[in-house]
Amino acid sequence: MKSGKKIEFAPYCYLVPSMLIFAVFLFYPFFKTIYLSLFMTNKMGQAKLFVGLQNYIDLLNSKSFQNSLKVTVVFVLIVVVGGMLLGLVAAVLCNKAFPGIRVFSTAYALPMAIASSSAAMIFQIMLHPTVGIVNKLLGLDINWLNDPRTALYCVAILTAWLNSGINFLYFSAGLGNIDETIYERASVDGASGVQQFFHLTLPGLSPIMFYTVVVNIIQAFQSFGQIKILTEGGPNESTNVIVYSIYRDAFFNYRFGSASAQSVILFIIIMLVTLVMFRMERKGVNY
Amino acid sequence: MAEMALRNVCKQFDSAHYGVKNFNLDIHDKEFVIFVGPSGCGKSTTLRLIAGLEEITDGELWIDGKLCNYLEPRERDMSMVFQNYALYPNMTVYENIAYSLKIRKVPKKEIDKRVKEVAKILEIEPLLKRKPVALSGGQKQRVAIGAAIIRKPKAFLMDEPLSNLDAKLRAQMRVELKKIHNQLDTTIIYVTHDQTEAMTLGTKIVVMKDGEIQQVDTPQNIYSNPINKFVAGFVGSPSMNFIACDVEEEAGKVVLIFAINNAIKKIYPNNHDAQLIREKYMGKRVILGIRPEDVYEYEEAKKRKIDLNSVGIEEEIVTREMLGAEVMLYFEEQNRTHAVKLGPENKTRIGEKIQLFFDTDQIHIFDIETGRNILYRERN
Repeated sequence: MKSGKKIEFAPYCYLVPSMLIFAVFLFYPFFKTIYLSLFMTNKMGQAKLFVGLQNYIDLLNSKSFQNSLKVTVVFVLIVVVGGMLLGLVAAVLCNKAFPGIRVFSTAYALPMAIASSSAAMIFQIMLHPTVGIVNKLLGLDINWLNDPRTALYCVAILTAWLNSGINFLYFSAGLGNIDETIYERASVDGASGVQQFFHLTLPGLSPIMFYTVVVNIIQAFQSFGQIKILTEGGPNESTNVIVYSIYRDAFFNYRFGSASAQSVILFIIIMLVTLVMFRMERKGVNY
Repeated sequence: MAEMALRNVCKQFDSAHYGVKNFNLDIHDKEFVIFVGPSGCGKSTTLRLIAGLEEITDGELWIDGKLCNYLEPRERDMSMVFQNYALYPNMTVYENIAYSLKIRKVPKKEIDKRVKEVAKILEIEPLLKRKPVALSGGQKQRVAIGAAIIRKPKAFLMDEPLSNLDAKLRAQMRVELKKIHNQLDTTIIYVTHDQTEAMTLGTKIVVMKDGEIQQVDTPQNIYSNPINKFVAGFVGSPSMNFIACDVEEEAGKVVLIFAINNAIKKIYPNNHDAQLIREKYMGKRVILGIRPEDVYEYEEAKKRKIDLNSVGIEEEIVTREMLGAEVMLYFEEQNRTHAVKLGPENKTRIGEKIQLFFDTDQIHIFDIETGRNILYRERN
């Protein structure tokens, strides 16, 4: 209490360890990426020639990147909507006590525990055009992963399923917070199951719904492993989402400048979407 | 607007455990029926069986001549007030009250009119725009009642709606409920463990214990003519005094003797009662029950000409409560504390002895094993 200086200094000391970690693993790469995005680089990834915004201009004019943007939007939409619907339906189904509930709960939460690459390997076999179980069961003969019309949907649905596990967990927790007796009152009041779901369950989930949407969007934008293993961006760039495009530009084409510029654009997109979501939260969350 | 009949209704939780057992009851239109009993006696379960929230495992539920065992809750046309109010947290008070009409697709104007009417009756008009989070317990309770009475269902089911309120608010809401019952002129089935609510609100009281009905009668009869020791002890506050006695004969008269220590204390029941006791219980042990207000001092007993029916009941006072309009005195007998309610002019102090006289027209005699009231008067 004697010297004001010490008191001002001490709190910042506690922040040093976490700031150090942030600086090494987040801030440095972040600013380095922005820096690199303004340069032409050599194969070692060293900045060689300052080009200003040329990387960005090239990107926005490139057909390939425009395609990437489009593919990413479709991919994210399917993953977020699909993953959340799967999780929500599973959580609602498992919200009632019945024999075997634990088995079902575990099954629905399981995708959370599966690495995206191993899930991709399993899907690769399931979707195999000749020996795959999907074609066998449906009696079809589609080369799912090598057909530009179906490849994106396959990868997106796999990702949705992978994300559904954690969504199931979020929604289960959210449902657990809804007072059981309001359903009893609603059923005496005359509400059908569907009405109860839309009038009580969905609004009751709205606080957790917001959080889940944000997490899902960010997660969907960053999906990589399954695309790398299943399609490598192909066929014909039909699954070339931005993250994969960045990887390809940086580590195959050694165009670190362009890859950095794409990273920055991805960052801006995710930030904008998140900001919009936070805006909507103020209006949309019910209590 | 409904005649209800429950026939041998059972709720079996597992092979050995019944929530409700052989429940037989007729509920007539416009009755205010109270289910009362200690916690776990099955009163709430019975209400939920009627609402359709629990499945009836055996027996029949008839509503207006229609078997309703297998109807969904929403098909039974009841409205229910829950103990924790069960307000929809995402809706305003207005929407909460209007909900049951909204899902029935009642025109908006009609809903608006009725919500305002209900809000007026319950004095919650300023709260209509609030969410339940911003309400106090008493306000939530009014909203819950409002949401129930906005419809004209066959019956209102209320599950301990006043139990979460403080004593003053509870008394106030009791009066309100009575008023609402008169205004709506409808059937109400009401669950409570509070005997004051049961006595003041009900037109018919159903006393339950361990899932079974003990007695169904008007509040007055439940109080003055209990069918067994459980009902006698459950209704009334302080509860009835129970004293074990031996039935003996003394010069041709039946006498109940409870001799403790050296003094012999005797009660001579009236002739009608004496005959009933003599038939089966001569020489046996019974339990004498008497309510605190049916015990008098000598002066009053003499006035009532009951002074000769009690002999030697001199008790030492262990606690004294001055309640203003009356004085409660407590004495110990057979290791139990017994209460006496006397006029405020009584000045007996703790440690002093007082001569007491029982009003023998008001005594009850219970079988020591079954608890049955030997003097229970069957009526038709």
